[in-house]
Amino acid sequence: MTQHSLAIGGRGSWVPPWPLISAKFLELRKRRVLMTVAVAFTVALPVIFYGIRLIYHLGDPARYAPAGAPDAFATAGTVMDEFGFIIAIALGATAGTADLTDGMFRHLVVTGRSRLALYLARIPAGLSILLSLAAAGFTVACLVTAFLGSPEPASAVTVSLGDMIRSGLWLELDLVIGFTAGLGLGSLMGQRTVPVILLIVLEIIITPILADHALPHFINGERLDVGVAMDQLKPAALAGGTTIGPAGGPRALHLPPMPTWAMITVIVGWIIGWSAIGAWKMATRDA
Amino acid sequence: MTTISEHGDSPHPRAGQPVPRQMGDWAVEVHGLTKRFGARAAVDNVDLLVPRGSAFGYLGPNGAGKTTLIRVLLGLTRADSGTMSLLGIPVPAQRGRALARVGAIVDEPRFHGHLTGRQNLKILAAARGGGAGKQIGPALDRARLTQRADDKVSAYSLGMRQRLGLAACLLADPQLLILDEPMNGLDPAGMHEMRDMLRSLTDEGRTIVLSSHLLDEVERTCDQVAIVDHGKVIRQGPIGELTAGAGVAVEVQCSDPPAAARALGQPAIASRITVTEDGLTVTLTPGPAHEQIADINRRLVGAGISVYGLRQTHASLEDWFLSVTSRFGGEQ
Repeated sequence: MTQHSLAIGGRGSWVPPWPLISAKFLELRKRRVLMTVAVAFTVALPVIFYGIRLIYHLGDPARYAPAGAPDAFATAGTVMDEFGFIIAIALGATAGTADLTDGMFRHLVVTGRSRLALYLARIPAGLSILLSLAAAGFTVACLVTAFLGSPEPASAVTVSLGDMIRSGLWLELDLVIGFTAGLGLGSLMGQRTVPVILLIVLEIIITPILADHALPHFINGERLDVGVAMDQLKPAALAGGTTIGPAGGPRALHLPPMPTWAMITVIVGWIIGWSAIGAWKMATRDA
Repeated sequence: MTTISEHGDSPHPRAGQPVPRQMGDWAVEVHGLTKRFGARAAVDNVDLLVPRGSAFGYLGPNGAGKTTLIRVLLGLTRADSGTMSLLGIPVPAQRGRALARVGAIVDEPRFHGHLTGRQNLKILAAARGGGAGKQIGPALDRARLTQRADDKVSAYSLGMRQRLGLAACLLADPQLLILDEPMNGLDPAGMHEMRDMLRSLTDEGRTIVLSSHLLDEVERTCDQVAIVDHGKVIRQGPIGELTAGAGVAVEVQCSDPPAAARALGQPAIASRITVTEDGLTVTLTPGPAHEQIADINRRLVGAGISVYGLRQTHASLEDWFLSVTSRFGGEQ
């Protein structure tokens, strides 16, 4: 037997070491189909959107506004948010279930590494892919808005640098929520498809209904939907400039605004709650 | 309470080589272990002692509870009661420490199919930490996978995945390897390679626990065995001593083996008769062997069957296994 001694210090720690995060990053990044869809939804989508706008504008400048007009920024942001949220869910659910469905979970548990560390390594690994892609796509939107906008901004509606920063942060926060919800629900259910469908239904169907309709005696219940809270937190630049308060977007017209602390509580609750549920299941699951 | 054989204290020397081991120091020590699924006990009050440095076979019919015991030992599922230790370290209390020098394959080895063999090992080495990353190359070499290490695992055969599983075990520089059906999916050459590899690992002083239904492979690879049936360990000890107690077998070369089997079966003259390509293997009932062999010869000649040869051997592990497991009527 060889005499070298494998270090065992820290294997029981719940803090994932950098090599483990890096290994999980590699595992996700090598999923060709998922990465292609992720790039398409986050980067290619705004490129195509602004490309079409540019072609239209160049073809008939009198009829079509410049590609970087403020309304285009709002539309691009909304589209990036919807599609980005979907890919965030898919990436999160994949990160939460891939080890299990591919049969690697047993190998990983047998290493003696803390199950919590194995779980937590997925969060920075997945988010580093997702947020960097979303940032790249959003940068395209910002550059077009800054350099290919209206030459004479007579309108009061403009997109400032501060608007761009706020919009970018809001977009990234929404993707973090989608990722952690997908991760937690995927880990809980042990499979990818159903969590993705459930969360897309929540995002595409249930949240718009809740955000647009104040249900009598159920307003506080509606506010527990993170999409409603995020909708009210939406920056004015992404809401097309039709704001009703410091944070409220157009959908908030139909629902009494939430206090900021309530929005933050709901958002943080969703992120931490789903992460905790996934971690609990990971720690107690039979392998 | 399952009775532990006294033979557990004296490991059977394999191929004439004494196995170095400290007395009273067990690679695996299990007492009163029970794991239930609903009302059914998959592992029922099991006691098991695996000596350090031995190749230990863990045998049982399908559904006997072999894999469940391994999963409990490795912390893949929880036990309902009992105490366990691996390499002298209690589990699950100090599971991380105990598993630092344990490698294991449980069930069919599966990996991320979209990654190469080497990338899968990198992930596992990252989870192990320490110097495991440096073991990837040597482990691939030893598992004879270096040539295909950069191919995607989805293109691997089952045998190659078995070898990748073994390479994953070697990342730990293990003192103890727990292998669940490692011969599954291997062709005869692959089984031969795996057998040689396991032997070389035990020759280095490592302990191997080999769960398998391939009795012949266990007999060739292991020093000691435990038989599990209905969740209980029903026998344990060195193979030679256990099979010696199973009686004597006679290999019969004859002209018409099926007719010979019928002639010996009515009335039954042996505890078991197996028809082979060129004759029969007859496991004798307890009693004087010479008289029974002569009786076999008389009965075959009387039935008009030409007898070309009779050779006395010890009963194989398979004969013994079938005689003691309830599924085949041994305890009925």
